[in-house]
Amino acid sequence: MTPAIVCEGVSKRFRIPLDRSTTLKYRATHPRSTSRYHDFFALQDISFEVPQGEFIGIIGHNGSGKSTLLKILSRIYTHDTGTVQINGNVSPFLELGVGFNPELTARENVYLNGAVLGLTHAELDQRIDGIIEFAELEQFVDQKLKNYSSGMQVRLAFSVAIQADAQILLMDEVLAVGDARFQEKCFDVFARYKREGKTVVLVTHDIGSVNLYCDRALLLDHGHLHADGPPGEVTALYRRMMGSVSEAEDTAGTGEHGDRWGTREVEIIATRLLDIDGGTHRVFSAGAPMIVEVDYTVHGDSVEDFLCVLRFDRADGLTLGAPESTMARLSMVRQLPGTSGTLRYKVDALPLLSASYTLTVALHDQHRGHTYDQIERVQSFRVIDEKSRPGLVELGGTWEAQPR
Amino acid sequence: MATSSAETSRAVRDAATAASSAQRRGTLRRHVNLTRELAVSQFKLKYTGSVLGYVWSLVKPMMLFGIMYVIFAKLFHLDKGTTNFILQLLLAIVLWTFFVETTISAMNCIAANGNMIRKAYFPRVVLVISSTLSALMTFAINLTLIVAIAAPLGRLSFGVRTLAMLPLLLELYLLILGLSLLLSSLFVFYRDVGHIWDITLQVLIYGSAVVYPISTVPEHLRALVLMNPMAQIIEDARHALVTPDVLWSAQIMGARYAVPLGLTAIAVVLGFFVFRRLTPRFAEYL
Repeated sequence: MTPAIVCEGVSKRFRIPLDRSTTLKYRATHPRSTSRYHDFFALQDISFEVPQGEFIGIIGHNGSGKSTLLKILSRIYTHDTGTVQINGNVSPFLELGVGFNPELTARENVYLNGAVLGLTHAELDQRIDGIIEFAELEQFVDQKLKNYSSGMQVRLAFSVAIQADAQILLMDEVLAVGDARFQEKCFDVFARYKREGKTVVLVTHDIGSVNLYCDRALLLDHGHLHADGPPGEVTALYRRMMGSVSEAEDTAGTGEHGDRWGTREVEIIATRLLDIDGGTHRVFSAGAPMIVEVDYTVHGDSVEDFLCVLRFDRADGLTLGAPESTMARLSMVRQLPGTSGTLRYKVDALPLLSASYTLTVALHDQHRGHTYDQIERVQSFRVIDEKSRPGLVELGGTWEAQPR
Repeated sequence: MATSSAETSRAVRDAATAASSAQRRGTLRRHVNLTRELAVSQFKLKYTGSVLGYVWSLVKPMMLFGIMYVIFAKLFHLDKGTTNFILQLLLAIVLWTFFVETTISAMNCIAANGNMIRKAYFPRVVLVISSTLSALMTFAINLTLIVAIAAPLGRLSFGVRTLAMLPLLLELYLLILGLSLLLSSLFVFYRDVGHIWDITLQVLIYGSAVVYPISTVPEHLRALVLMNPMAQIIEDARHALVTPDVLWSAQIMGARYAVPLGLTAIAVVLGFFVFRRLTPRFAEYL
């Protein structure tokens, strides 16, 4: 079978004018000024193949050239050297609602945006009811788009976008927008594409979704193809490459995601969400194992024992559980100043279904008399149920039938 | 064995070719579809949100017509000895307004749709064609209205020559399309083009025999004026639709009739050539 995408030695150079002159006068008076450019190589000698039906992730830091590569695959940019061969219909997904006009009604915008995505009028005639229904905008279909909230606009754009039925989908962090519930829908669509065997190229920062969905990952660094291989290895390399930056991101939330208070007699140094192999994640599959690690350091003299509470909340604030443990129970009684360590909480199989969750970590004295350190929503993570089952938890029950 | 494998590989190749040509047809259909959606929505957008809507596109040429009529017919008496001067002027102004408004709005169509160009792929020429087509809709309504109002008053004279309107309108559309391609692609890189075109149009209205019949031009200069494709189109349209008293420009120009036609052809070829050359840089520059 011919590969869906073949890139060979692709390079892209941007000429950045030193002083951008958009007037003819300058052109006329400086006829030989073409050399006043600074060449910037966004991509250099990129070669890879994507077999049909593969889900491939492209990761890299900002400015590594991953969006440029996606635009070259989409034919929005032209490459300077090398060849790009694409076998099949392509649907670039660089932004939701391209071509939307606020002065037109939702219905008119569906036809316009659909046409940009390559759908014909007749095809849209058949699907329009489904699109509007999926966007939950039945009552507003003949209102102008400018009267819509931004959430409604995104919903409409998204339900048009998922209609594109190309074999090859090119996506640029479409997921970065929208609320938690909307992101669930995005992930459901990913799961569907994967089931349908479509070729997907996903450019993203979200290591979690690369690990979860991609069969393979490419890592770009300053315009070079740095790594090409299984997502686990490539994302691990990416994390190492990002070094301290990544560390800071993993423990982000320390004061950023939520409020933090406490005497700091025992301090939370870092928190991590890990899979069974020790990779950090933000996205977990329903039924997969999850490990929470909390690094702590004891500062206070009078700390003998302390209690660690992990509170799991759904994104809307509903508390699912708050497992706790004292050090005594873990046979670690004497907590001298300067002691530090790591607490590990392991769930063998996450009983949760698709939703977004947050984790709050708190350290109290053993009688819960006062709080040493508490960080609200220090980590957030998402659970994806590939079977898209309804509900909140997997009860884990078993069925039995008794014919009479 | 060898032959059968060769046959198989040819069959595979044929199937692949068939699939890709079907794919190409599908692609073309999608681009035509996009052009239509864009043209229709642009047409709608032009008139939604204003109380008078479409009427405005009639008011503008009528205003110009009123002013020109007062100045040239009432003050300078250019209408003396000219059959049906009013309709000659009106027709010329409707054609001219179409030319001006279409080229100006098409000139902006690439620069104004930067987001679409940066975020989606389709042949960029679709934007120019849809922009000119949406202006063509307005023009078609304007022209129909004028004919519908003037014909019952006996002001128009139809004949076999009226059929010449079809090739003339095609020539006008091609001229506009060529210029629009040229202007819209250059405008992305040099905003001066907008001002240059404004000034050119101001001069060109007087050089295109819009406000005066060609018969008022000194005889030895007539052929020169008619080398301008707009002048030629307007004169020929007057002959075709208003009165046979106006000569075909070919009758005046003889072999030099090839000049305005050639200029139109050059506009189209040059327009497509420049547009094609500059297209790859649109997304980076916008």
